[in-house]
Amino acid sequence: MTKQFVFKGASQMPMISVSLGHMDWNKTGAWRAQRPFYEDKTSPCSAACPVGNDIVGFIQKITEEDFEGAWNLIREENPFPGVCGRVCFHPCESKCNRREYDEPIAIHALERFVSDFASNLNKKIRKGPGARKNKIAVIGSGPAGMSCAYHLAKLDYDVTVFESSSLAGGMLRTGIPSYRLPKDVLDREISNIAELGVEIRTGIPFGEGLNLDGLKNYQAIFIATGAHRGRDLHVPGGKGRGVFSGLDLLKKINLGRKVTLGDKIAIVGGGNTAIDVARSVVRLGKKATILYRRSKEEMPAFGEEMVEALEEGVKIRYLVNPIRIQQKDSLHRLECLRMELGEKDESGRRKPVPIPGSNFFFEADNVIIAAGEEVELFFLPKGLEKREGIVLTQRDGNTGARGIFAGGDLTSNQRTVAHAIGSGKKVALAIDCYLNGKDSEEALRQILTGEGPSISMFRYLHPQERLMNPHVVTFDELNTDYFEPSRRQRETKDLIKKRIKGFREITSGFTEGIAMEEAERCFSCGTCVGCENCYVFCPDASIIKIGEVLSHQVDYDFCKGCGICFSECPRGVISLKEEAR
Amino acid sequence: MKKVITGNQAVAYGVILSRVDVISAYPITPQTTIVEELSELTASGRMKTVFLKVESEHSAMAALIGASTGGVRCFTATSSHGLAYMHEMLHWASGARLPIVLVNVNRAIAPPWNIWSDQSDSLSQRDTGWVQLYCEHNQEVLDTVLQAYRIAESVKLPVMVVLDAYVLSHTSEPVEIPTAEEVDAFLPPYCPEYTIDTQEPMAFSTIATPDHFLEFRYKIQKAMEQVPEIAKKVNDEFRSRFNRGYGAIERYGKEEADILLMTSGTVTGTSRIVVEKLNRKGYDVCGLKIKRFRPFPVEEICKEIKGAKKVAIIDRNLSAGVGGIFAQELRASLYSREKRPQIFGFVSGLGGRDITPELIEEAIQYTVDHPQPEEEILWLGLKK
Repeated sequence: MTKQFVFKGASQMPMISVSLGHMDWNKTGAWRAQRPFYEDKTSPCSAACPVGNDIVGFIQKITEEDFEGAWNLIREENPFPGVCGRVCFHPCESKCNRREYDEPIAIHALERFVSDFASNLNKKIRKGPGARKNKIAVIGSGPAGMSCAYHLAKLDYDVTVFESSSLAGGMLRTGIPSYRLPKDVLDREISNIAELGVEIRTGIPFGEGLNLDGLKNYQAIFIATGAHRGRDLHVPGGKGRGVFSGLDLLKKINLGRKVTLGDKIAIVGGGNTAIDVARSVVRLGKKATILYRRSKEEMPAFGEEMVEALEEGVKIRYLVNPIRIQQKDSLHRLECLRMELGEKDESGRRKPVPIPGSNFFFEADNVIIAAGEEVELFFLPKGLEKREGIVLTQRDGNTGARGIFAGGDLTSNQRTVAHAIGSGKKVALAIDCYLNGKDSEEALRQILTGEGPSISMFRYLHPQERLMNPHVVTFDELNTDYFEPSRRQRETKDLIKKRIKGFREITSGFTEGIAMEEAERCFSCGTCVGCENCYVFCPDASIIKIGEVLSHQVDYDFCKGCGICFSECPRGVISLKEEAR
Repeated sequence: MKKVITGNQAVAYGVILSRVDVISAYPITPQTTIVEELSELTASGRMKTVFLKVESEHSAMAALIGASTGGVRCFTATSSHGLAYMHEMLHWASGARLPIVLVNVNRAIAPPWNIWSDQSDSLSQRDTGWVQLYCEHNQEVLDTVLQAYRIAESVKLPVMVVLDAYVLSHTSEPVEIPTAEEVDAFLPPYCPEYTIDTQEPMAFSTIATPDHFLEFRYKIQKAMEQVPEIAKKVNDEFRSRFNRGYGAIERYGKEEADILLMTSGTVTGTSRIVVEKLNRKGYDVCGLKIKRFRPFPVEEICKEIKGAKKVAIIDRNLSAGVGGIFAQELRASLYSREKRPQIFGFVSGLGGRDITPELIEEAIQYTVDHPQPEEEILWLGLKK
């Protein structure tokens, strides 16, 4: 018991009831039942990014006007920001917490902005040191192969990429029209990779001039030959003259070869290839009609591109399926059946069912089949395990054969640029583990972004830095009182009339001002940006600033665990746990 | 520099010139334009102030209590229900001896709903330990804000500056605006006796047992008792610097008269005309303006009563069951005195009804005609 102190009279008393000495001895933190602590968490955008980009990180750099810093952060994970900023289907934006508030952040446009900014600076990534460790062969120079080569080169390996075509880039070059991805952007990013010391040998088809025996000098091999063969329609007349595969046609157009087409083109299919073909032939002055057997809702093509295609005059006929292609002189008559939607199939989409007797004819000068793509397997080495048209591997990309890895479209049905880049990165890491006798499964587990499957190369290289709780911050965990509603910035597009005149890129990137404005909209879920709400609101003055603004600590001598810092943190950085007693 | 500005703008000028550090407020008619102006000045960077947006008047005052304990100069403005909502925190501010300045624009308290001038809001806070100063015109409003900080920071008590809704708050008059240098010379930066220091944490407003509570209240009373002298000194200095000033009370008209007309706020302005007119007609009447309500200027009033036999006092407020509050205070003040004139307590102008020259004349005529009031409450202008 402390002794009670009684003043003799008013004249001895202070003006107000205040302690006579300071109260440091009274560690009110002992009352605490729950303990707040700082802990960066994973943002939903990064967790959703197949490439494993540190999205919050690079966007914060943009808000600081440090565009070069943003570029460096992106390049930790992704050698193709210019490509991804243009053609990725941006699953990050679908998961952006801001979607639930007003509109998601235009992440793709910000990534493109950073890449364009860096190219204007002529900013190249530094070359690795001269001394190289092991020799690695990469078969295929698409996004998977080049991503793998890039990361291996950064890990100081001597990498050679073999490409069957005369130009590197794989599907990025042959499959994607340049109004979406200009060739100079692709060239720039490929040459940035080559600058690291990666040798790219083109015109060497695997399985013909080159086989595994010829690669005996290489300590590891990554096969990423992609899926370049267009799937057949399997209808009578489906292989006639004037009937082409969509992928082949795109390849010809994209490599600048001559194509001979009539005026009226029918395109069969509903994926991105169908849209790319339709929009490309429109640019060649043709009339394009897409025939799709399901309805608009089931169409696998990305929504925005469909909108653009329709704007450019492409017609889409839904619930139509060709069953026979007859040729009469140069004209093709497609006998079609009308379809209706039945039960859901294994893809979760409603299955198209033919309506008996609904046959009709559709006439076209040429028919382009864009009904999906397949892996060309005949040239692959024997002994690789294959199932349902893809090569099977372990989780780290190992084929089971010693030192032979596979990835990209070859091993997956999730055939997107981002998935391919992520796959190449994962294999780079697996090869590094393999050559150093490390357990790749364990290494992968340590560097997952969120719960995976995307991974952080930065954390692989710097295991003690930027520690992050894998927990993915949800919208409910944010305190959105601190954010003002704002419109998502949009990239400007050329006028339709101008667009269809050629293959010039149709969108223009953000200016610096717009990019910074858009970056400011980012909630930065799970990452402290130094807003200091915790410091301002703590009723016990128990948040201590350490040096820089971004560094705070809780003073547990006096923190009573009220949790105000936890609830006032706009971005879910502060965690609260029950105090162990 | 002279500018034609409203009473609320005069408040804002007073606040800027006082170099207030923290403003916290919640909007309420007819005060709103004060904090609107201040928030714009803060946002534009013309004023180096922290402006806290809060969810209520209770929080506005609570925030200032924190800020003032932190040792900085604070300001808020409110009216009517807002002031009532602050009630608990008003006690806290004075109990903690914080020199906060609050401007209250007098407005009636509902129901029935009414946004016009009526002193019942500020006068129902008379027991919260705040100094209360009532203003007659816009120049006085600006000057009183400046003086209020000097008084508050000298005696360590909060000060409420009061002005009438619309008649002052939204009416423009020419006002002389002193320069920042002039005001800086008059009003030095605030030097608190106690402040929060996170390096040396102290416990503030700790419990005081029955052993000490009475003594703390005694100290507040003693501080209140210092106000007349300090306010006079402050006003004298103000007058020497700016060539104008305001006493706790002000006599006008004749030097001495049988009848004394007592008023506060803008009613005084009208009364000056009426008294002058009646003096010309030969009425033996003079006027007395009451500026300071708390502490009530007992000594000053007694001195000015001189030979007056009757006091007519007009209250624009009502304490139901008693009558006008100024009259009530006056009666209590005079009880122990030798000279106790008859007190004619008029109640008028509630909820913003104009107190016209005719009504004031009627009040004086009634006082002349009656040796003593027929009733405790004399309703002026009541429609029966």
